[in-house]
Amino acid sequence: MTRLLPGNRPQNGDCPPAARRTPFALVALLLLASQAPGQVSRERLLGAASEPQNWLTYHGTYASQHHTGLDQITAANVSQLDLKWVWQAQSLDKFQSTPLVVDGVMYVSEPPSTVVAIDAATGRTFWMYEHKMPTGITPCCGKVNRGLAISGKTLYMATLDARLLALDAATGRKKWDVAVAEYQNGYSLTLAPLVVKDKVIIGTAGGELGIQGFLAAFDANTGKSLWRFHTIPQPGEPGHETWKNDAWKTGGASIWLTGSYDPDLNLTYWGVGNPGPDWDASVRPGDNLYSSSVVALDAETGKRKWHFQFTPNDAWDWDSVQTPVLANMEWKGRPRKLMLWGNRNAFFYVLDRATGEFLLGKPFVKQTWAKGLDDRGRPVKIPGMEPSPKGTVVYPGVQGGTNWYAPSFSPRTNLFYLTAWEDYVGTYYTWQTDYVPGKWYAGGGVKAVVPPTKRDQIQRWGRDAGYAAILAIDPRTGARVWQHPMTGMSESGLLTTSSDLLFSGNREGHFFALDARSGKLLWRRYLGGQVMNSPISYMLGPRQYVTVASGHSLFTFTLRD
Amino acid sequence: MFPVLALLAAPVLMAQHGNTTQSNPHDSEQDRAAGAKLFATQCTGCHGKNGSGGSAAELTTGVFRYGYSDAGLFNSIASGIPGTAMPAFKLDARHTWQLVAYVRSLGEGRAAGKAKGNPARGAKVYASSGCQSCHSIGGQGGFAGPDLNAIGSTRSLGHLQRSLLAPNEEVSWDYWSLLGRTAAGERIAGLRLNEDTYSFQILDSQGKLRSVAKPDLAEHQIDRTSPMPSVEGKLKPDQFEDLVAYLASLRGAQQ
Repeated sequence: MTRLLPGNRPQNGDCPPAARRTPFALVALLLLASQAPGQVSRERLLGAASEPQNWLTYHGTYASQHHTGLDQITAANVSQLDLKWVWQAQSLDKFQSTPLVVDGVMYVSEPPSTVVAIDAATGRTFWMYEHKMPTGITPCCGKVNRGLAISGKTLYMATLDARLLALDAATGRKKWDVAVAEYQNGYSLTLAPLVVKDKVIIGTAGGELGIQGFLAAFDANTGKSLWRFHTIPQPGEPGHETWKNDAWKTGGASIWLTGSYDPDLNLTYWGVGNPGPDWDASVRPGDNLYSSSVVALDAETGKRKWHFQFTPNDAWDWDSVQTPVLANMEWKGRPRKLMLWGNRNAFFYVLDRATGEFLLGKPFVKQTWAKGLDDRGRPVKIPGMEPSPKGTVVYPGVQGGTNWYAPSFSPRTNLFYLTAWEDYVGTYYTWQTDYVPGKWYAGGGVKAVVPPTKRDQIQRWGRDAGYAAILAIDPRTGARVWQHPMTGMSESGLLTTSSDLLFSGNREGHFFALDARSGKLLWRRYLGGQVMNSPISYMLGPRQYVTVASGHSLFTFTLRD
Repeated sequence: MFPVLALLAAPVLMAQHGNTTQSNPHDSEQDRAAGAKLFATQCTGCHGKNGSGGSAAELTTGVFRYGYSDAGLFNSIASGIPGTAMPAFKLDARHTWQLVAYVRSLGEGRAAGKAKGNPARGAKVYASSGCQSCHSIGGQGGFAGPDLNAIGSTRSLGHLQRSLLAPNEEVSWDYWSLLGRTAAGERIAGLRLNEDTYSFQILDSQGKLRSVAKPDLAEHQIDRTSPMPSVEGKLKPDQFEDLVAYLASLRGAQQ
């Protein structure tokens, strides 16, 4: 059972009577508060898995397993889950943010770049910080923000106008605010930052607008720029030769999802987006490193340790912007530090995360663009499957076999879980696009029956055009263990628990719990709005809570009394 | 001075918000051509080449979910559409109107003008052939088949011809049927209006809206065939052309 740890005191908002009477007592309380709850030290971030009552990083822990150590909600009692509170965002833009929970306070961002502190017990708002956005921002795909990071008593948010902000976690007051890139030229920041030691690491979006992607680290105390890793190698750097025709200048390779970190190796891992222009690969011959790859960087220096490119010369917009899931498992008879990756290109991969060595790769949904992978993991492309002026029919469609929504790994079942788009097809077109700074630069488009990003209130297609499913995959073989099919599509992340439940949602507006071992549906609630974030779990006092976003609201459940 | 300034500002504000019935002041052939160029660089990435559709909506049907009027389209382009991926495009008003002109031209009167038949005679063929028992125009007629009120602005001539001759060739999801039987033995039949992982929403054969839980169905299938009979061999060639011309002339009432 879950233990109640220090720093996890019930937060009911009541002050002791003495505090109401004397300022001295209030001062004493504030001093106490500054020392314990709400302070997220480096050690706490490293040991986040050992305090499952909180959700301290965007992915839960540095290993990004989206797995909670909590086990109060079980298959036997999940039917008793009840709605505790609902918190509604002001914005009607897509709610893709996954909250943090720190000692009874939930921190969440809402579109476009607003931070909110919420009482995790009641859903009441403590404070809001609204970033003033200039006109002329250039987000490619909606005014979204995916979340926050915390270190010490400071929250960090990356914004759509390409700035990095530090806020005081107690008051929401801004500590500093630095420009990261020029939003006028297509740069925008949509991801949750990752704090490693004294650094805040972020990447830039804008892969459809001809940017030059990068990862950048900033001093967590001052905002000073510390290092920058170019996801398109600059002239003179190794890999620059993989871009012909000066295409590197507008090659995209964005990063719009938070990476992972292995403290023992001191490596941080990030998935890199598509090369640009997305669908006209003829203007950028070569492998186009490090687009559609994972890069492993020294967290101290930003120097590349290794990379693995999933889709060289990607012509389908198959960003490798997925969560790098770190798992320690026995591999062929010996313990190994692995990275598990369900890629948008429809293949599931296992890599050695110390070296980048390719260990296994296998399609997890229908795909028609590659014969398979060679023994180094490089795809053997099928000729004629690239986008064309008349259109080329390819499985999977543009949203891929999966996308950015969080997968999960359970160290209890040793299974990898992901949200997949099954039997999903698209017709890929090319057309000429001229580069204009800050404008759309994609070189084509994709048609499909299934809407790629938007929820339809009405299900306008049949199963033959595609459907979502949650898959459980055995990382040792790449084989499916079970499938939970849905009718509509899903852009929801996953959460597994130490009681072997799997929580997820879908575009239809359902939120549900499956048996993580069998895939059997155990419980569901219709929330009505599409789920586009990842469920999280936390504990306050004796109770476990589960929170998910549906539509424009956060819904929090706990067991009935 | 303030009231004077406020009066001067009013029309500008109204135009910015598109909250008027203002028609497009830049709707010449040259404007459309300029709009086409703008569209190719600004819009094709999501809406596809010539508005044929992509990650965002197809624009060639003549039907716009957000803002049918010129001012409404202007507003969608200038301000974006909240809750969708459609961003605001900060173009000057003239360029925005040129985009509106081009977008409207994509779906405008695609079928009419080319039809060989006589629409007035076609209306009589429509009436005498019993079409109105399943279809409605201007709110008059049956509900089993598609509403034809604006069919001429949303379908090409060839599409109308094929729909009359071979109605099963392409049956819109709007007209798929659910046929099934519950575990208790009740037969279920109705128009499939919506569906999710756990249920169907149907308009049953009694005209009743109801949901059917999937776990309650012992068996079911989605019937994608059309109950519409082909007119092949039932109409003379000139009657057929007249009927097509009539359908092509139906543009509906614009908002």
